[in-house]
Amino acid sequence: MKGLRKVLTPFAPDQSGAVGVLYDSAALIVIIDAGGCTGNICGFDEPRWQDTAAGIFSAGLRDMDAILGRDELLVKKIVKAHEAGEYKFSALVGTPVPAVIATDYNALTYMIERKTGKPCVAVPSNGMRLYDKGASDAYVRLVEKFAKDERPFDENTVGIFGALPLDMGRSSRDKVFEYYKNQGYGNVRMYGCGASLEDVMDASSNSLNVAVSSSGIDVVKKLCGKFGTEYKIEDPAVFDLVIPEGRTLVVHDEVAGYSIRNNTESDVTVATFFTLHDELKQEGDLILTEEDEFTKLVMNGGFDNLVCDATYLPLIPDYKGRVMILPHYAVSSAGDDS
Amino acid sequence: MARAVSYKAGYIASLGKDNIPSELKGNEGLVYSSPATLAYNSPGAEGFGVKRAGLAVPESVMLIVAPGCCGRNTRYVTKNPEYNVRFFYLMMDETDLVTSRHLKKIPEAVKEIVEFCKVRPKAVMICITCVDALLGTDMKRVCSKCEELLEGVRVAPCYMYALTREGRRPPMVDVRQQIYSLLTPSIRKGNAINLLGFFAPVDPDCEMFELLKSVGFDDIRQIGTCKTYDEFLKMSQANLNLVLNNEANPAAEDMYNNLKIPYAGLTRVYGIDQVAKQYKALGQILGVEIEDSVFYEETEDKIRAFMVKFKGRKVNIGECINANPFELALTLTRYGMKVGEIYATLSPEHFVYVKKLAELSPDTMLLCNLDPSMINYSASEYAPDLTLGKDAAYYCPDVPNIPWNSDVQPYGYKGIVKLINAIEEALS
Repeated sequence: MKGLRKVLTPFAPDQSGAVGVLYDSAALIVIIDAGGCTGNICGFDEPRWQDTAAGIFSAGLRDMDAILGRDELLVKKIVKAHEAGEYKFSALVGTPVPAVIATDYNALTYMIERKTGKPCVAVPSNGMRLYDKGASDAYVRLVEKFAKDERPFDENTVGIFGALPLDMGRSSRDKVFEYYKNQGYGNVRMYGCGASLEDVMDASSNSLNVAVSSSGIDVVKKLCGKFGTEYKIEDPAVFDLVIPEGRTLVVHDEVAGYSIRNNTESDVTVATFFTLHDELKQEGDLILTEEDEFTKLVMNGGFDNLVCDATYLPLIPDYKGRVMILPHYAVSSAGDDS
Repeated sequence: MARAVSYKAGYIASLGKDNIPSELKGNEGLVYSSPATLAYNSPGAEGFGVKRAGLAVPESVMLIVAPGCCGRNTRYVTKNPEYNVRFFYLMMDETDLVTSRHLKKIPEAVKEIVEFCKVRPKAVMICITCVDALLGTDMKRVCSKCEELLEGVRVAPCYMYALTREGRRPPMVDVRQQIYSLLTPSIRKGNAINLLGFFAPVDPDCEMFELLKSVGFDDIRQIGTCKTYDEFLKMSQANLNLVLNNEANPAAEDMYNNLKIPYAGLTRVYGIDQVAKQYKALGQILGVEIEDSVFYEETEDKIRAFMVKFKGRKVNIGECINANPFELALTLTRYGMKVGEIYATLSPEHFVYVKKLAELSPDTMLLCNLDPSMINYSASEYAPDLTLGKDAAYYCPDVPNIPWNSDVQPYGYKGIVKLINAIEEALS
């Protein structure tokens, strides 16, 4: 049945991706929920939360708040929280509750900016899309809000988008960072994972932007349109993956799949449960939504090699080809010390 | 520099229960998210939330009908072998929100998962979330439709409605009602008694079992020890429900109305005299005298020795713990310890303990995990020797911690003795 999961648990949702992007930005992050979504995002999708305190809050909505649409009460809560901490701006992250009651984010943002005197960004995630969409939206909203001034390109600076813990583990992020260092960039800005709000404001000075996962593609294109910044789409963390000869199926993030294809002689097909942009898609590549689509593809596709997160393996107990595990935290909630 | 908001117990007691500061209530502002609040924000993360609670029904499986985000944390629960083939998901999309078409798919989905299971489940629990709370879904009706399709399989709803957490029927109250609604009337047995309130068993070492047997209840059932669905159904044979957690009171009331099983309540406390009073009161209800003096004296000796050895040692207490943190603070103060800080949400029903604590230890500081100012908490000013409660460990990472939040529930005199043993071990 469409939408029925019998083996896999749901993947990280858009709201988790949005929080991942905002995590290091010194924002007062308000997840507009009753509490449960906040617990899921922080406790299960944001490994940094165990070690580093961040200003993440639940709106603490109750049924009457939702039914009556008490936006003013929420604004009051946000103003009070600003008084209790030091935050550079407010960030609203949507969940299914505001999706049901059709929260007007523009109005809410305007009210919050007026009352706090600080900028406010809203990411209208709804818990039904996947993390890459939420992360992508958050990146775009951040640069729209803060990357306004056009500054001269700094040939020493590169902007990396899409290296969130949900995208790749710590060792992969380190590989990405080192790769661009070795390419001659003294200043590698890892947006969403170490880069500051000031780095967002200064994004126009990046001489190159790189989308290392799907969640970074829309924002590097946006920055290209706005400032003319050159961009690349590649994931250096998988460049050294040795793929044996034969036909290979990569089930992962689209950029990981694309980068594997470009760095191997093997005949690679890319499939993903997440976004697949047209510019990366080649004949045979496809989006998966259901468990049995994955099973049929692997079992009937004639692939010699399969590259994927270990979480998928219970769906294909009879697969006889070679399996190469490439962790994807958004799928498994497990990686290499994300 | 901003600081975490805290209040002295003496000051709070002087305000009265109707004037609790908003910073201690936890429900009037944004809710801060730190590892200390995980159990609040994601109740299933520690102990039992609605999902694990629903699966306390033996031989059951659960279908979570919700947006994907609501099922995400189940990834962790399913790492426990006991649960890894018991969760299924029907993922809602935006169209479902508008049209409620997902409701029509549920009976077929339930049928498909029942057929998918290697062992046919006896019950399917359908877990729905905030969106269906707002849509006003009549899940009872959907469950009836499911039962029409499946002979011999019961289907019941579990409402994981975080939006109603502080309402008349919070999720953890309602899920107990739904679980016990699966029981059907049967012939009652005079020697049968149920322990209601927890989903995991009461510590089998607890003296309560021996005391109940001594007054004729030798058939003691609790859902956490039922291995099969048929065994669970025998809970309807009980002559008395003993409610050990207030959240089970409405379920006990339902069982009284539907199955004619009367009920009585006991409260978990760590004060020895309060434990004794509860057994005495239970005896009065039953019309018998419960002879607990052996256990009382053994516990009293333990406390005396503890007071000599550990008088004046300092402890901070959290709320992620198998105890009422305010009662525990009062009791440990009476046992000679100094309570520096309590990290817990304060509500009027806790005030009785705060007032007494204020008389003995007015400088004990009260803080609320959920308050936004807790992001500024850096280190305890009270240099505790020990922390109690998993959340307290987050605030004082360099101090020995006793989480005291196991699934198996400590209770009664044995609960006191085991807690003291744990403290002695940690402080030694």
